[in-house]
Amino acid sequence: MQQRLVRFIQASGVKALGFALFLSLALTGCATKTEPKIGPVFYPPPPNAPRVQFLKSIKNSKDVEEQKKNFSLFVVGSDTSTDQIKEIRKPYGIAYAKGKIYLCDMQTPDIVIMDLAGKKFETLKGNIGQGKLKKPLNVAIDAAGNIYVVDTARKEVLKYDAAGNFVGSYGKEFVNKPADLAVDATSLYILDLGDSDIKVVDLQSGQLLGRIGKTEGGVQGLSIPTNLASDGKGFLYTTNIGTGSIVKLDKDGHILGGFGKMGKGFGEFVRPKGIATGTENRIFVVDGGHQNVQIFNEEYRLLMFFGDQPNPAGMLNLPASIAVTTENLEYFQQFAAPGFKIDEVILVTNQMGPDKVSIFGLGQMLDGAGSASGSEGEKKDK
Amino acid sequence: MKASFILMALGLLLFLPTASRAEGCLTAGCHDSIRNLARGHQPAADGECLSCHVQTAAEHPVKGSKSFGLVEKGAALCTQCHEAMGKKKVVHYPVGDGDCLACHRPHGTANPYLLEVGEDQSELCFGCHDSEPFKQPFMHGPAAVGACTRCHSPHESEHKSLLRGPVRDACLQCHQDFARQLKTAPVIHPPVQSDPCIDCHDPHASASPFILKNKMPELCFDCHADIGKRLAGAKVRHKPVEQEGSCGRCHSTHFSQARGLLPTDEKSLCLGCHGVDNLGQPPLKNISKQLAGKKHLHGPLEQGECVSCHDPHGSDFFRLLTGPYPEGLYFPYREGAYDFCLQCHDRNLLRFEETSLYTGFRDGKQNLHFVHVSDSRKGRTCRLCHESHASDGEKLISKGGLPFGDWKVPIRFEQTATGGSCAPGCHRPLSYDRQNPVKDRQR
Repeated sequence: MQQRLVRFIQASGVKALGFALFLSLALTGCATKTEPKIGPVFYPPPPNAPRVQFLKSIKNSKDVEEQKKNFSLFVVGSDTSTDQIKEIRKPYGIAYAKGKIYLCDMQTPDIVIMDLAGKKFETLKGNIGQGKLKKPLNVAIDAAGNIYVVDTARKEVLKYDAAGNFVGSYGKEFVNKPADLAVDATSLYILDLGDSDIKVVDLQSGQLLGRIGKTEGGVQGLSIPTNLASDGKGFLYTTNIGTGSIVKLDKDGHILGGFGKMGKGFGEFVRPKGIATGTENRIFVVDGGHQNVQIFNEEYRLLMFFGDQPNPAGMLNLPASIAVTTENLEYFQQFAAPGFKIDEVILVTNQMGPDKVSIFGLGQMLDGAGSASGSEGEKKDK
Repeated sequence: MKASFILMALGLLLFLPTASRAEGCLTAGCHDSIRNLARGHQPAADGECLSCHVQTAAEHPVKGSKSFGLVEKGAALCTQCHEAMGKKKVVHYPVGDGDCLACHRPHGTANPYLLEVGEDQSELCFGCHDSEPFKQPFMHGPAAVGACTRCHSPHESEHKSLLRGPVRDACLQCHQDFARQLKTAPVIHPPVQSDPCIDCHDPHASASPFILKNKMPELCFDCHADIGKRLAGAKVRHKPVEQEGSCGRCHSTHFSQARGLLPTDEKSLCLGCHGVDNLGQPPLKNISKQLAGKKHLHGPLEQGECVSCHDPHGSDFFRLLTGPYPEGLYFPYREGAYDFCLQCHDRNLLRFEETSLYTGFRDGKQNLHFVHVSDSRKGRTCRLCHESHASDGEKLISKGGLPFGDWKVPIRFEQTATGGSCAPGCHRPLSYDRQNPVKDRQR
């Protein structure tokens, strides 16, 4: 009986079965994953006027690059595009310059360079040989597009040119435990977590120009500092795990004050980490303990916070670093809810969870625009 | 012809008895005074005595008793001819009582409206109303001449105090010129916009000019309490506030063309007094002369502002400055001592010995502002190099020199792309360079 059946198949049905199998394999590519639609996520929550909107997140290269169409009548077999997805493993430092996101992936270890508008997801070209990264923690870009990376395992700052080629390094001789950095036209500012100070380095010669930020007399200086931000006007801001506070100083090393303390209240910190400045001298501070971002004005007054509310999207998960930009607003505006005008874009890295980079827009709802309607951008992005 | 004759005869028949009756009442030395009144009550003048009076005894006259009475009592007598009153919200007390004769004479007087008084009604009104509040040095025109009924209705009104209209309307009926200007004024004192004028003015009389309810500035402080409080504790007060006219010397009290209810723009107003040579004793500087033809004005002055630096009412600091600044030529920098200047200028300008941020007046990183001002023995105040109002020099650096007794100490400041030099009367010529420090080159 079995032999007859085999013969029947072999004789009359083998061609049809083969075609059915081919068709089913080919059509597998047509099945699309459906993700639940969510409305816009705003902070602060209603009835307050919305000031920050969660725009989108980046999990891996798929969220950046042009999505390849899986359907093919001619390719049979496994989904080859899945193999091409480049993952971000353990992000930390982030910078944004000239339309590109520079992200430190400590685990890979590498620098991921993402051009959202250009739909490119690349890694650092010079991450080989002498320029090989061991544990990149934070990254900064200078006006010429040169890339500076703090490598906490190599205990130095590595410099790559705008094309990603390794150029040289700074600080091996005098840095103890580099954690973060800032750069201006003439100097590199290396935040040293081990020495609780900032090493000012001449960009040209690599010479140590000075150490600033030390506690002197009655003036509280840096205390186990983790992150550093420069406002581009000569002022530096550091987050300090030791005191749970932010210290502001000028590039000459004069400590100008600070704010915050350990605590769970508004404007207080548990594990202050990434810090950035924005327009109107606003200061954005990431807190790994509160798992949020607190925004302060130039008088150190807390304006609002976001990221820790239980929303369907945009919740931060062990956030680490932050970058704030006013570049390419037109690109990011597409992700905003109708009527919500973005003035500034905030990028936050998450050390845990699927969202490796969470992107938020700071702005305001234009007169007459409602906030209840769904985010066209969010839907489009899905 | 026959018909007209008949009509004339009928007219005579009607007229003759009336004439004879009036002649009967107002002659024979009986009621002679009524006949001689300049403005008689119409019935009296017409001899229509019986329209009000009625004979109550057969004989008339009867010595020792009255043989005529009134046909009605109280206001009912008057309302036979006049329209009844007392229907409006506010009724003059005698009118409500039907006591028309409290004000009017029934047969007539020498004045209109059967009143004993003419245009000056004060004697009549003060018969009941207290005259004491009217005995003040400053009086509202109508009140001063007793024209009470110019504003008040004598009988009844829909408005309080028997006014002829709402308070503002009652005022603006006469003050029409004021009303016209008010309509087009860009800046209006809020109470003037819609509130009753009597919020500030007494409508009759006052001890204060402009019949204000209280003298300025106290009247103004009723609303502007913050200024009053500040002024009460101020060590230095702007003179005009305490002089006659007080607030009104600088502010238009009703409306104006400039913000702050100033009669003109701020700078012009201030220079109106401070642009002369003989203001005060010893005379204050003539600021107009300081500004005239100068290339550079201090920022606020460029904007036409004086009050950014000087409090126009009062201050705890000399020259009515809005913050602390040393009075003398020398004062070593210390936190707070120069806060007046540092309200606008970078607070860190004078704090640090070295800087690459807060000033261009540095040799390398050596802060030369710090060098000048922080000298613990003889810290130089800003005015030793900078003019406070205007200068021909950049950064208001004095060109003409600082008055130092008989000598005007020159600065002789020269600027270069990366620094500058000066050869003042204070020290030997010195220069500085931000990029290649002179101090280093001299070593």
